[in-house]
Amino acid sequence: MSFTKKPGGKALDLLQHLPRITLGNLRPEPGTRKPEKRRGRGQHGGNRSGRGHKGERQRGNRPRLGFEGGQTPFYLAIPKYGYNEGHSRRPQYQPLTLRRLQYLIDLGRLDPTQPIDLTQMVNGRGVTIQPLKRDYGVQLVEEGAGVFAAKVNIEVQMASEAAIAAIERNGGIVTTGFYDPRSLAILCKPVPFFISGQPIPKRMFPGEDMVRYYTDAANRGYLADPGKIQKARVALAQKYGYVLPDISKDELFHMLSMRKDPRQIFFGLLPGWVVNMPEKKILKPTDEKLLQYYST
Amino acid sequence: MAAYMLCRRTAMFCWAIRGLSSIKSYIPVSAQCGLLQQIAHYNPKPLKLNLKNPYIPDKDSENTPEWQKTAKYDRKLFGRYGFSSGVNPAELWPSHAQLEEMIAEEREWNPPLEVLLKNVEAKEMEANAKRLGREKLIAGNMAKMPKMVADWRREKREAKLKLKEEKARRDRLLAEARERFGYALDPRSPKFLEMVSDIEKEEKKKKNDAKTKQTEDHFPTIYF
Repeated sequence: MSFTKKPGGKALDLLQHLPRITLGNLRPEPGTRKPEKRRGRGQHGGNRSGRGHKGERQRGNRPRLGFEGGQTPFYLAIPKYGYNEGHSRRPQYQPLTLRRLQYLIDLGRLDPTQPIDLTQMVNGRGVTIQPLKRDYGVQLVEEGAGVFAAKVNIEVQMASEAAIAAIERNGGIVTTGFYDPRSLAILCKPVPFFISGQPIPKRMFPGEDMVRYYTDAANRGYLADPGKIQKARVALAQKYGYVLPDISKDELFHMLSMRKDPRQIFFGLLPGWVVNMPEKKILKPTDEKLLQYYST
Repeated sequence: MAAYMLCRRTAMFCWAIRGLSSIKSYIPVSAQCGLLQQIAHYNPKPLKLNLKNPYIPDKDSENTPEWQKTAKYDRKLFGRYGFSSGVNPAELWPSHAQLEEMIAEEREWNPPLEVLLKNVEAKEMEANAKRLGREKLIAGNMAKMPKMVADWRREKREAKLKLKEEKARRDRLLAEARERFGYALDPRSPKFLEMVSDIEKEEKKKKNDAKTKQTEDHFPTIYF
């Protein structure tokens, strides 16, 4: 009779014979939990509990941070200059490192077989965007370019040159797209927007200061000429010294070449449509003026 | 969750890398592509739409607050409860008047792409022109600099010489006065000034005589 090996083996045996695991049976791995340091206790650390001798120090009445005993403090003596002027109105872009992107893909929180969008990143809890705090989206940062090895079709709002190179080297595609604050809020939280029953708005174009960035092929802008983008890909490959893989021969070519229309917020949904969540239906307008408005 | 929006048969805008014009196509249900990828298909938070006992306000009664009779609230009702909320779906979209307003607002605050690009280009051209003009001005002025420097130096030198000359003349006159009168005379006194004017007259006479002599040598007077 052939001796068949039991799957699981000794571990399964143990599981079957040892008592059940309860809180009373568990203990942390030695070295993982270090007891916290408590200052000011014991025979030598006690007495004044590490607070010093009398005065404000012991009695906990020290003046505010920055006070210099009456001398004009540093933070008041230095004259102001407009470095921080209008800082609360400046657009902010949450950085996303390639390392974090790889981590999310490895853990399965992002699906590289589908286009990666800001919605997907927020759903996978990869980034946290606050559209109401002047966040205009996500910027791709090149930290972790050495460990990045995933083929993705990713859409961000800003990307550095080295990050673009790292993604294209692995056969992926980067696109930079602009979302005005309302569109960004809808993109980050689509379900509450659909529940509000409004038609999907069209994405607005960037302002005069950013339109140059998004029409530039070097930044892979969504308003740039596709021909120039291809040339820029080749040029970047030459600059960074890698062979540009031919995406047209890829099996996922169709997915990689998926791109949003400049006025579109979601893949597969056009502006003007109403998504009905309870009945899982999409309503489209039929009025000509509405159709004309929503199709620009 | 990641494949939520794309598992449906929907129209999409495709963009070809090979530079083809954009084409609309239906994508099939997402393929596995032979990759054993572990995707975390986590369960999202349950969407509590309260479909069993919805609250749909009575439009005709007076007790319902005003804000529950607005169009915005109707849209929210439709969004939550669907067709069973009794809202006419045609009211979800803006009316013609509202649409006109929206179009006007957009034309003013969000101009189309061509206009935007034109504005940007115009601004850039203006800035460039200004910068070029300034640079030309600076270049022109810098080209003039060596000449201006030489002129200024020459003028300074001449002024210095003149001063020296003037001083020498004054010293000479003082010495002359001292010789004539025998004591150091104040240059501001009337005697000194008299003497100065006398000297000047003598010099003038001498010059005139020299001139007439010269002209006589060249053109001697003929007496008839």
